[in-house]
Amino acid sequence: MKSWTSFSLILTFCGFLIQSALAEEKVSFSDSELALIRSHGPWPVPTNPDPSNRFSGSEEAIRWGEQLFNDTRLSGEGNLSCASCHQQELSFSDGLTRSTGTTKVDRNTIALANLRLNRWFGWAGRSDTLWAQSIHPLLDSREMNATAHIIADRVINYEDLKANYQALIGINPLSESPENLMVNIAKILAAFQETIQTPPSKFDQLRRAVTDGASIETNQAIVRGLKLFVGRGKCSLCHFGPNFTNGEFHDIGLPYFLDNGEVDTGRYGGIELLRKSPYNRAGAYSDEPIQSAENNPSYFMRLQHRNWGEFRVPSLRNVSKTAPYMHNGTLKTLEDVVHHYSTVDIERLHADGETILQPLNLTDQEVEDLVAFLETL
Amino acid sequence: MTYSKLTGLSLAAALVFSTGTALAQEHQPLADVHIHYSHDAWEIFPPKKAIAILNEAGLKYAFVSSSSDDGTQMLYAEAPDLIVPVLRPYRRRGELSTWMHDPTRLESLKSRLAKNTYAGIGEFHAYGDDIETDVLQGVIALADQYELFLHAHSDAEAIHLIFKHDPDARVLWAHSGFEDPEAVADMLRTYPRLWSDLAFRSDQAYDGEVSSDWRALFEEFPARIMIGTDTYTPERWPYVTTHAEWTREWLADLPKELAENIAWKNAERLLKAR
Repeated sequence: MKSWTSFSLILTFCGFLIQSALAEEKVSFSDSELALIRSHGPWPVPTNPDPSNRFSGSEEAIRWGEQLFNDTRLSGEGNLSCASCHQQELSFSDGLTRSTGTTKVDRNTIALANLRLNRWFGWAGRSDTLWAQSIHPLLDSREMNATAHIIADRVINYEDLKANYQALIGINPLSESPENLMVNIAKILAAFQETIQTPPSKFDQLRRAVTDGASIETNQAIVRGLKLFVGRGKCSLCHFGPNFTNGEFHDIGLPYFLDNGEVDTGRYGGIELLRKSPYNRAGAYSDEPIQSAENNPSYFMRLQHRNWGEFRVPSLRNVSKTAPYMHNGTLKTLEDVVHHYSTVDIERLHADGETILQPLNLTDQEVEDLVAFLETL
Repeated sequence: MTYSKLTGLSLAAALVFSTGTALAQEHQPLADVHIHYSHDAWEIFPPKKAIAILNEAGLKYAFVSSSSDDGTQMLYAEAPDLIVPVLRPYRRRGELSTWMHDPTRLESLKSRLAKNTYAGIGEFHAYGDDIETDVLQGVIALADQYELFLHAHSDAEAIHLIFKHDPDARVLWAHSGFEDPEAVADMLRTYPRLWSDLAFRSDQAYDGEVSSDWRALFEEFPARIMIGTDTYTPERWPYVTTHAEWTREWLADLPKELAENIAWKNAERLLKAR
């Protein structure tokens, strides 16, 4: 587990500073609310290695993957690394409205954490493996602007990269095709990224307290916020489970025009790209046996009209540290996010589409409560 | 003024109408019967740009309604042979769940009908006994008076009630109520003046292959089914072209005559039915 130890200590310390005891709270939970709260844990969730990536879980791959993640030599101009946008000190995001590689891109940088729990990757789910998703920023001319040939040249021509490749992959990079070499590099990058996990949070303590009667100190606003989250707010319907996401894609009524007047097609384009991609889980570059790969969910997905303009339901773990929010980073704060759902414009949603979403019409106090709860995640 | 009276000649001309683009001629012409052009759409896609999108999609007809109706009128003025104007009872899109309780909507419809040309009233949202409200009863009466079809985003109960009050109504059932094909077939059997709009439905085909239950419906009612995009937000306007391509893919899986019916001929049938 990387980088989260300090956050964990801070959260634990804050937990002891908070004033009123849960036992004194006036908030009560129904049986269904308690069941929902229970469903948001335990945390962390045990995971298995990625069957499509033979380096998944390998200590050597993880170590080299972390180095490569910070290595600018993988970019076309040698000046950008994965960490340029996924900055560890910013929870593996960049704090910007939209990512900027060689130039500004169309979407917000997704914070990297708990990725082994994902079924699809990216705001549009254009990849069904983490290693395939890792290829896209390498090749995108607006991001790292490399090519398979550039990456192969760098690995071959830098002695340390060449030695590591040969040691870990067991193949002289000179005898690899650029495509194979790039895919292997992406798999090594993925092996590292899988290890980025958020630690148990203040919410996890609260969950135990609410559902099992464990002892905890917290404040009323957080508990009221939790009740809104699993109750009237219906947030748990999409942000469900221990990772606070259903892993799917939805239209939440935000505009999705691009700067050039075209439309970010979101999940629609993501599905089209995934189906065409040579790097998908059932493709030739995957290490997963085809019988197993053909049973993965992406193999059965169907393109639907509703997918136009849908975007990922992000995990809410660690959400207070990953501003700004939404696929295009247009909501700057958690207050903005809660206000969006409080006043959501249902006229932008199809009458028979996202029927879950209705304006919550929250009071200022309720907005504060919900934000206070989100900050515990 | 009724659509048929004013545009009889236009319709006849439209039978041989070409969108004027090489792209359109290469494709199966389509009548998209579910287009909205509301205030936020016309701000982003002014009429000329919007018409260009419809032409790029290879549309022969576009049934257009908007909130407010000004959008429809602007498009109709720009391309009267392409646009089939349908009168929506909303000033802004935000009225879809309240309009049936607002008597001023009826007055507004009367005023518009006296002034402009329309083929139908809708797409309106009405469920169950919403149909019993004075406003909906007034709408049904206006449709009868002006010989207009009703484009109803409704459940089956509301459709039953419309025909109970006016058995001679012509109703285009938006999204066919999101019912399964068997339920749609039941309704089409019951009401000979009911037409089915498949807008925003993806279940009739996958990868260009029409599913067996939908195929059975199409074969039983070859003259009653139509297609549509439903541009309910401005961002959906660029989807008209994508939707048209998707539609052509699955239409190609049907016999030519049936495909042409669903593609555009049934839209003409609805307009000509009296």
